Amino acid sequence: MTCSPKRLAVASRGPNSEHPTVNAGAATGLRLAGVQTLALTRRSVITEWRQLGNVIPGIVFPLLLAAVYTHQFTRAILLPGFPVVDSFLDFVLPASLVQSVSFGATEAGTELARDIENGFFDRLRASPCTRLPLLLGRLCGAVVVAAAKGILIIAIFLMFGTEIAGGPAAAVVLVAAAVLLVIAIGGLGQVLAILTGSQEAVNATFPLVFTSIFMSSAFFPTNLMSGWFREVAEANPVTWIIDPVRRLILEGWSWSDVGQALAVPLVISAVTVTMAVVALNRKLSSS
Amino acid sequence: MGGNTGARFGGDVVIEASGLERTFGEVVAVDGIDLAVTRGEVFGFLGPNGAGKSTTVRMLTTLLRPTGGTARIGGHDVEKSAADVRRIIGVALQDASIDPLMTGNELMRLQAVLHGISRSESRSRGAELLARVGLTGAAGRRVATYSGGMRRRLDLALSLVHEPSILFLDEPSAGLDPTSRLALWEEVRRLNSELGTTVFLTTQYLEEADELAGRIAIIDRGRLVREGSPEDLKSTVGSPTLRVDVDPVFLESARRVLVGFGPERPAREGRCAIGLDGGAARVAEVVRALDDAGVTVSHLELDAPSLDDVFAEATGRRLEGAEQ
Amino acid sequence: MVASAICGRGMRRIMARPILIMPVLLMPLIFVLSFTGAFVSLTRVEGYGTDNVFNWMAVYAAMQGAVFAGVGGASTTAEDIENGFFDRLLLTPGSRVPILVGTMAYSALRSTIPTTGVLLVSALGGLRLPGGPLALVTVYVATAGMASAFCLLGLAVVYRFRTMRSMILIQVCGFSSMFLSTGQVPIHFMNGWLHAVARVNPVTNVLRFARQGFLGDLTWTMTWPGLVALGAMVAVAGALAVHQLRRLAA
Repeated sequence: MTCSPKRLAVASRGPNSEHPTVNAGAATGLRLAGVQTLALTRRSVITEWRQLGNVIPGIVFPLLLAAVYTHQFTRAILLPGFPVVDSFLDFVLPASLVQSVSFGATEAGTELARDIENGFFDRLRASPCTRLPLLLGRLCGAVVVAAAKGILIIAIFLMFGTEIAGGPAAAVVLVAAAVLLVIAIGGLGQVLAILTGSQEAVNATFPLVFTSIFMSSAFFPTNLMSGWFREVAEANPVTWIIDPVRRLILEGWSWSDVGQALAVPLVISAVTVTMAVVALNRKLSSS
Repeated sequence: MGGNTGARFGGDVVIEASGLERTFGEVVAVDGIDLAVTRGEVFGFLGPNGAGKSTTVRMLTTLLRPTGGTARIGGHDVEKSAADVRRIIGVALQDASIDPLMTGNELMRLQAVLHGISRSESRSRGAELLARVGLTGAAGRRVATYSGGMRRRLDLALSLVHEPSILFLDEPSAGLDPTSRLALWEEVRRLNSELGTTVFLTTQYLEEADELAGRIAIIDRGRLVREGSPEDLKSTVGSPTLRVDVDPVFLESARRVLVGFGPERPAREGRCAIGLDGGAARVAEVVRALDDAGVTVSHLELDAPSLDDVFAEATGRRLEGAEQ
Repeated sequence: MVASAICGRGMRRIMARPILIMPVLLMPLIFVLSFTGAFVSLTRVEGYGTDNVFNWMAVYAAMQGAVFAGVGGASTTAEDIENGFFDRLLLTPGSRVPILVGTMAYSALRSTIPTTGVLLVSALGGLRLPGGPLALVTVYVATAGMASAFCLLGLAVVYRFRTMRSMILIQVCGFSSMFLSTGQVPIHFMNGWLHAVARVNPVTNVLRFARQGFLGDLTWTMTWPGLVALGAMVAVAGALAVHQLRRLAA
């Protein structure tokens, strides 16, 4: 049994059905949750794919930015204090990846908000779908798309001569860190969606995410910054993710860098997803 | 009863169209329309949704270029002298053309400036028009807070700021409650009788055309199918319509009986309608004939010919929105 | 007259809903703060042109803001088309060109908001005027010109496609035009295709004209190419817009 809309219409037959036919012989518990999540993931991915127009800016823009910066910072990379690189391109790879996945990161939230706005959420709620898949389905969808984008961006950078000192394993860590970041942002977006029910509110987080990438070590090393901006950048969790990842790319494999690169987004995602589940439970039990 | 036919204001034609045509790609929205509206007339353009009424109005008011044919308003060609046409016409379109972020007063003032009316004069005209349409109280509020009916009224006031001699109203009472509709009709009559304004209005409501227009053109699928004064048109239909409701089981027998009394006319499900030759006098005969045939009648009504009958006769269909 | 009425209406709308101007004001402020913060050490590179990063970046952020303001002006028209008010404007007696001129003027006026915001914030960050007060004149002229050009370009697109969504095209254009130019570094810092593109990009001349007072004295050699570029952009965009306006009723 999957959570497709058609089935749901049949399944929600009366609030007091004691023997809903839908449960006869069907999977239960964890397996059911897994199947439901998969179905919602599929739906999420297909929706995003259909809106290809939204995916393309997320790839083109970061690449364009990287290309322009590479050609305008050729002298800047020679500054004392700048990490040793052949070209700015090597420096900016983690930033481009993070930026690219951030473009779709709020999708999970806007999708949820859209469903709430147009009432589809109520129909899902009336179905036997358990609660966690409602959130995870979308997050998984965002993860799939983000991973695809990440792999594409790394491939393009490699084509243009970037070398990853830490080898393919480092590339995997890079994608994993980006994916975890998407879950973190997606979770936050879903919290907003549940609290406000408005797509506009969720979309408003995108400029914030976008700006916070600029106010980090993404595009320039923090040791070459000064004043209050440097303090902000050094306190920015994005910096805590990008710095270790960059070391993996430029210097080589290091378990401590791997640990930091994955732990930071993991912790943040755990927090935001928990918040989303709590908010969802509260919303569902209050009505 | 209908408005002036314009004869007593002198016969000059202020709205004329010849072979007016408009296609959108493959679709022919307006298929060769000829019109001649004289000064001081109230002219009604009656037809169902999608008949091409709004498209015709947009062409006559220079908002859309015809793909064929010509049109002249007040002697000015709508394509070559569009700017001059706009000087003498007032237009209130189907979707009220207003900016929700502005107040009623601001819109009136803007409209006045756009038409070259001086500041002081615009203030007095604006106030007068707003009072006329009953919006004085709301004039200081943003239009976004207005109801649909209020927006329509504001739109009408805006169209009158520069005292146009020719007024185009596109479905003016669509969506209005009955009271507002009556008030609108009053205003149109007043504009026509007191100020001699020529009014070109489109509508899908029979009574509106019947009540307001001195002459009507019925349009269907982009073509003019009938033209004339409401009385003349109705008299062409001749016989009144007899409508008989029967159980579906009797429908065929009823039909066989009734067509002996006059030509069949379109009717809804479960109902049979004919034009009753000989008029009301023959109703008794009809009832007897139905009885003899064993038909049980649940409802019977006899209606004087209406514009809907005119439309039905011309096109084989009933007008949308007509009461049946 | 019609143009000033349209311009005035636009300004009044901003005052009616000040929240509408927030993105146009905030975005360039964020730009100037982010870029001066992240790239402050560029001033240490030989040949940058100034030792104060605000002196370089402020004009870039202001002009980017002006481009957004210009596009925003065209967006108002897109809104009008979508809610039907544009029909009423089209019914204005006489020529319709004043409607276009009024919208352009409104955009130019609108652009003073982000420009002033950026200059104020930059002043707090230590912005200096080696060229004296004339430096400010060039900035305001340049931003008004950019706003006008992009408003007209936006109008050409909006008259053609009649939806809000088509504005994205112009926003992308506007951002790219500034981006592929000397926004953040002087042209001799660039290499490869970027250098070639920036050289032919008219915005490069405009940036040079606008920025000169922040880097030194104003000279005619740095001024006239910028004015020509501005004039050409406004003229071309204007021609496109007028052409599309004429076709609108078709």
